[in-house]
Amino acid sequence: MGEKTQWRIFLSLPSTMQLIYLLDTVCSDILREMNFDEEAQEHVNLAVIEAGTNAIKHGNKEDINKTATFEFLIEDEKLTIVVTDEGPGFQRENVANPLEPENLLKSSGRGLFLMEACMDEVSYEAEGTIVKMVKFKQSPNL
Amino acid sequence: MQINLRHKGSVTILDIEGNLVGPNTIALKNIIDNQIQEASGEPVFMILNMERVQMMDSSGLGVIVAAYASIRRNNGRVVLLNIGGNIRSLIIMAKLVTIFDRYDTEAEAIASFL
Repeated sequence: MGEKTQWRIFLSLPSTMQLIYLLDTVCSDILREMNFDEEAQEHVNLAVIEAGTNAIKHGNKEDINKTATFEFLIEDEKLTIVVTDEGPGFQRENVANPLEPENLLKSSGRGLFLMEACMDEVSYEAEGTIVKMVKFKQSPNL
Repeated sequence: MQINLRHKGSVTILDIEGNLVGPNTIALKNIIDNQIQEASGEPVFMILNMERVQMMDSSGLGVIVAAYASIRRNNGRVVLLNIGGNIRSLIIMAKLVTIFDRYDTEAEAIASFL
């Protein structure tokens, strides 16, 4: 039986939205190396950008002195991404469902929904200041 | 990101190139807002040509939804042209597929305003 691969890549960013593109570049390279299919790559990239936006913009309020961290845990069968911020946190249940008719035409409020739709698992810890997302190379629903 | 603004008759066409993600989306929002402001309450008819947009996040989605709502308020209309698979699935995911009219050619999009 072959040995299991397990790599950890850690990225710590000052809280400016200009660096969201760097996050996208790093994540894209990891996904390509892991041989995720194209659709999965697009979904994970989108989820990471949404999580990064939440951490930098909504959590840390783009305070350059605050840090958002991104940990990519690479395993043979899955990618786990842990995003942390230094903000006050939030309660997931207090965020409105963007698919409800009264929210459909709102210009914001879709980030968490898209993260959850694009990843296989999303969980929130430490009052929402830590977000853990998992994507399996083969969907667990298959 | 680059946005080219052009007019065909009463229709405003925005050719968008690049990813509609994060701070990039502000440029598109500003151009759309300017067009609405310049119309001074008259209806705006707008095509967003997304042929060269590979990726869009919730910020980008927010900008086009806000454009839809503002333009519709003055009896105008905004439609999407040449959206690729990624953007299409995002729009479906966000249940906005019934909100936005989508066309594959500019001629069809322009004809939809007649």
